[in-house]
Amino acid sequence: MKFRCERDILADALVTASRAATSRTSTHPVLAGLRLDVSDDQLTLTGTDLELTIRLSVEVGMDTEGSAVVPARLVTDIVRALPAGTVTVETNSDDVIISAGRAQFAVRPFAVDDYPAQAGPDGEPVSIDAALLMSALRQVVRAASTDEARPVLTGVLISADEEGLWVVATDGYRLAVRNLGAAGLLTSGQSVLIPARALSELQRLLPAADHVSVRFGSRSAEFELGTTYLSTRLIDGDFPNYRNLLPSSHPNTLTIGREALLEALRRVRILAQDSRVVRLSLGGEVVELTVVAQDVGNASEAVDARYEGAEMVVGFNPDFLAAGADALDGDELTVELNDPGKPVVLRGVGDDDYLYLLMPVRV
Amino acid sequence: MRLVVARCSVDYTGRLAAHLPAADRLIMVKADGCVAIHADGGAYKPLNWMNAPNRLAELDGWWEITNPKGEKLVITLHEVHSDNTHELGDDPGLTKDGVEAHLQQLLAASPGAIEDGMVLVRREYPTGIGPVDLVCRDVQGRVVAIEVKRRGEIDGIEQLSRYIECLNLDSSLGQVRGMLVAQVIKPQAKALARSRGFHWVEIDYDALRGIDPGDLRLF
Repeated sequence: MKFRCERDILADALVTASRAATSRTSTHPVLAGLRLDVSDDQLTLTGTDLELTIRLSVEVGMDTEGSAVVPARLVTDIVRALPAGTVTVETNSDDVIISAGRAQFAVRPFAVDDYPAQAGPDGEPVSIDAALLMSALRQVVRAASTDEARPVLTGVLISADEEGLWVVATDGYRLAVRNLGAAGLLTSGQSVLIPARALSELQRLLPAADHVSVRFGSRSAEFELGTTYLSTRLIDGDFPNYRNLLPSSHPNTLTIGREALLEALRRVRILAQDSRVVRLSLGGEVVELTVVAQDVGNASEAVDARYEGAEMVVGFNPDFLAAGADALDGDELTVELNDPGKPVVLRGVGDDDYLYLLMPVRV
Repeated sequence: MRLVVARCSVDYTGRLAAHLPAADRLIMVKADGCVAIHADGGAYKPLNWMNAPNRLAELDGWWEITNPKGEKLVITLHEVHSDNTHELGDDPGLTKDGVEAHLQQLLAASPGAIEDGMVLVRREYPTGIGPVDLVCRDVQGRVVAIEVKRRGEIDGIEQLSRYIECLNLDSSLGQVRGMLVAQVIKPQAKALARSRGFHWVEIDYDALRGIDPGDLRLF
């Protein structure tokens, strides 16, 4: 195998594929590697941890076709550190030689035969607008759990019914729900649970694409964006029945400027590091945000708002509240409340396609 | 365990080439064949090492350690200050960390949390290859060998397989069931457990402890 490629193009491709390689290699050391395949002036890079796979192709100047599996992190660091210009990569009997200018590295590869075989795309693809998918993932993935003790909650549910396609995530404290209308990815009654980690990686890839081809199998989901391919195992389990959590009524409604709320939260949560609670005092023409940090001090800020309902003080995890406000579109948002112990619903004014349900914190 | 304190230089050739210039260092040669070169700093991490299996050739003034992958560690001994060998014997192994030990203790107290009708026979059930975390009887009276982990991974299934193999040599126990219990179990471990006929159960540690997380939850 021998090829030439511009450093920045090769480095970007290595970084992208490396996100699926793993550093936890106690059982399969080769998974710390990236597979490089060169043929027809195309370099295909593959990284996988057996749960997530990222494969992409870039054009290179090919001298000799062939394959190698190189240590992902090491080779990525090497290529990024090389001088700008053309990088040459070639294999000899023992090593992979990476050179640019007067710099040369010899790296011992993994055995190509040890690298797990990758199944090709399976089934009929369905196309979805990349910008639409990206906006949904931006709004929803943030609510997924990172706690592997509750694996079902580390996934994002995509399901279809008569009302359209739903993208949903929850970590048990908050719930994000986006309706994509008749996006057509699934037929009514179908659902899949996709690891949020995989969708976070997909979010990084989406800006470069106009459309995404999606295939859902019984155990995996596959996304193709031009010459980049991402596949992930699906999570096996029953997602909580989130519809039961949505309050049927809300006697109290706060309407507030989204940016003004975010700015005030950004300031007062400087002091919220220990207490993890921001209190919202509701009842007049302004909302007062207060944080009290034991032995440190306190912070408060009044924000203009419209409030209809009973006076109350309700506490929130400031990070979760800010994440919800940030996910919404539009200049204003509404907070629909029952009482300080019940979940509240954040919506963008005039936007019925997205809601962010948030559980208050005891104050 | 052989401990050599020497002024030495070290050259490694393998995945990369690395060179340590001459300095006073500690060279550890463990009974399992592992060779590690330590400086008087850097906490627990050796400057360079070669895991077993490998071949150590002691030559005149230098050692050459090679492994089956073709990696090579060459230690050039400029001056040997001391060279001692100690017989350490068998190691009892790591004590389980607090959470894992506590999880085992809680499950021993409430085996029904693992499976309805489960009854504890013994914690740390002795076998020739080490103690099984929990041995219980299920509702049908079958013996169940249970390996308890914080994170269930393939290694846990391999460990359980060895215990089952050992316990099945005792015909008085009947056909022993194998079960992995952990806070979270990786998909690969679940797949391997299924292929070997073992069961697995994921346990909520906080719920088992009866802890209210304090924050209000949606569910």
